Amino acid sequence: MHDYITRVVFRYVLLFILMYGFYIVMHGHLSPGGGFAGGMVLGLGVLLYFLIYGLRWRDKLRFLPLDIAILTIGLGSIVEGVKFLLPHKHGPVGAPGELFSAGIISVVNLGIGLLVASTILSIFYLIVEDKK
Amino acid sequence: MNLEVLLANYPYFVAVIIFGVGTLIVLTQPNLIKKVIGLNIMTNAIFLFFIALGNIRGGEAPIVDPAAPAALYINPLPSALILTGIVVGFSTTAFAMALIVKLYYFYGTINAPEFMKMR
Amino acid sequence: MLPWSKLPFLLILAGLIPAFTMPVFARWKRNFCAPYAVIVSGLLFSISLSLFVKVLNGGALHLHVGGWAPPWGIEIVIEPLSGMMAVLITGLYFLISIYSYSAVRKEMNEEAQGWFYVEFLLCMTAMLGLVITNDLFNMYVFIEVVSLSACALVVSKGGRIAVEASLKYLILATIGSGFILFGIGILYMITGHLNMSFAGAVLAGNAAGYPYLLWAAMSFFVVGFGVKSALFPLHLWLPDAHASAPSPSSAVLSALVVKVYIIALFKLFFIVFGLELYQESYIRWLILILASMAMMFGSFFAFVQLELKRRLAYSTVAQIGYIYLGIGLGTPWSVTAAFFHLVVHALMKTCLFFCAGAIYYQTGRKKVTQLAGIGSIMPLTAAAFTVAAFSMVGVPLTGGFISKFMLAQGSIEAEYPYFIILIVISGLLNALYYFPILWQVYFTSPPAQGENNDEPHHAQINESGFRWDQIPLSMKIPIAVTALGIIALGVAGIFAYDYLQRIVEFFLC
Repeated sequence: MHDYITRVVFRYVLLFILMYGFYIVMHGHLSPGGGFAGGMVLGLGVLLYFLIYGLRWRDKLRFLPLDIAILTIGLGSIVEGVKFLLPHKHGPVGAPGELFSAGIISVVNLGIGLLVASTILSIFYLIVEDKK
Repeated sequence: MNLEVLLANYPYFVAVIIFGVGTLIVLTQPNLIKKVIGLNIMTNAIFLFFIALGNIRGGEAPIVDPAAPAALYINPLPSALILTGIVVGFSTTAFAMALIVKLYYFYGTINAPEFMKMR
Repeated sequence: MLPWSKLPFLLILAGLIPAFTMPVFARWKRNFCAPYAVIVSGLLFSISLSLFVKVLNGGALHLHVGGWAPPWGIEIVIEPLSGMMAVLITGLYFLISIYSYSAVRKEMNEEAQGWFYVEFLLCMTAMLGLVITNDLFNMYVFIEVVSLSACALVVSKGGRIAVEASLKYLILATIGSGFILFGIGILYMITGHLNMSFAGAVLAGNAAGYPYLLWAAMSFFVVGFGVKSALFPLHLWLPDAHASAPSPSSAVLSALVVKVYIIALFKLFFIVFGLELYQESYIRWLILILASMAMMFGSFFAFVQLELKRRLAYSTVAQIGYIYLGIGLGTPWSVTAAFFHLVVHALMKTCLFFCAGAIYYQTGRKKVTQLAGIGSIMPLTAAAFTVAAFSMVGVPLTGGFISKFMLAQGSIEAEYPYFIILIVISGLLNALYYFPILWQVYFTSPPAQGENNDEPHHAQINESGFRWDQIPLSMKIPIAVTALGIIALGVAGIFAYDYLQRIVEFFLC
């Protein structure tokens, strides 16, 4: 898309989209939302970037965030078992209602957000590039 | 059934009507993209149904604040289930879209009756 | 050492982890994929055999996922039915994965071969999970995984017919799972439980209070599972999907995927709704009528198909009717017959699709009219095809005879003896479309050269001389094993009656 207005406007909007996505991801343990919803926003923001500025991601880097997220979340949950879902077994719990509380939950949410964002991007790539 | 019952339970009826609309779209529209949109309307109607049955009048969102506990919380379980349902619906839509793109490369159209004729 | 009580979890994990590590082999060494799948399904087969031995004398294993007690957590129950289904699924998967070693190479392009096994193992895992779970929503998730991976199995061959069939299957299956989810929602609204046993316990006392809602839930379940398991008027996706898939996929779809949904519907009806409610409601008659129509019309439609795999697919529609008839009658004998037929049909259909794939492998033929003289160049395949076709018709000493006999017993026990006429007519119709194939295979000579030009070039039949099949050993063994299994069930099938009786005791008493 070579429209000048979209390019310029999007240059300023992108930051807000990404920040909103991170906000939803990091507040997953405090309010509705969390890894999936926030990751969706993140992924769609990056997707808009690619729609407007063209596909610029290198082939090898494309699946890297996906792989990292799958490895951390998948292996982490298998190794830790049920304890994975109990925040007070990992790190400080903190006071309820504050941002930095609930131990590992924020980290898990961040991983899920990355996973969802990169899943959306890879689905988009596979549909767009497969021209057989 | 009197009118009061219907008005008191209107979310369920709305969900059923939207479910019917979605199913009708899937079954009658010739355009494949519209069929997929119909599928999404249908599944979203079911999600609405689940969320409506988790709701309790006068309840608060189930986030416990120890300083000021509410008297009544709504049931969070259906919402949590629906999160899984949304993910499933998302993946189904993605898969269907990929197949439709493939069909478009084969036939050059996404209208179902047209490529039924071409075969 | 792993504690024995955790073994059922391994049933899911040991399939799921290899399924998601398969892409590594798909990219790195494509030849390792098939042996890897064989090893995984063999391992799972041994696990499910050990579980089967534990529930052999009745009783059930209850396990709580993550240590949460049943009303809140997810519960896994291995009862006799799930034990039997787990052994059936993993055993057939073991054979199919051996068979797929050569068949996949012949029928698919190279890129797709590795990815085929991802869906293959994922489908097995989800089916195992669907069979052993006791939680309504967990069941829905497994249903979705089964149908998505089954669609991917259909499309794995590529080509526009396969893509079209897969899209049709995907749309109809999604409608079906929408109906199932709606039914689960209604059940949750009435009972407040997602665990099937607890929901059933609540419903047993309060069923009279919600007659219309319960009927609505039951009909939602019948439509949803009917679409997915190809009950007669809802079978439209099945022939396309089964005919255009590669033959290992067709065997999986026709023998297992369709059956697993019937098991889930059966569990819902007899654990949650209970026998009394089931026999009072009109849903039972709906199932009986649709099953009778399936038995008749499925055979009629099969009769006019000229492509071998399409004919087998329509035959599946007819045979699904038998299973639904047994469940619809709802007496101990008929339910026993339904499960016996489920096992026998899984073996028969696997054998028939194996044979169709083997014929395609050696001669490149797909049409029923081109099968002349196959008996002299592929004697093993022809013999296995004969056994399976006899079993479909219901000739004594094969498994199909015993299941039809039990079904007749069941219809007498349910005091609807006129279903026997239907069973006999349907058996004769089966003969009508299987025996012409056998006649062609054995008693007609192949056409002279140049007579039909659409025949592939490499498929010329050497008229003089008898020789063994020119198919690899990895195809011969599964074909022989399934054919022998059908005969074994026919000769010694009455010993399986004791075990099936335990299933019936668990659900109906």
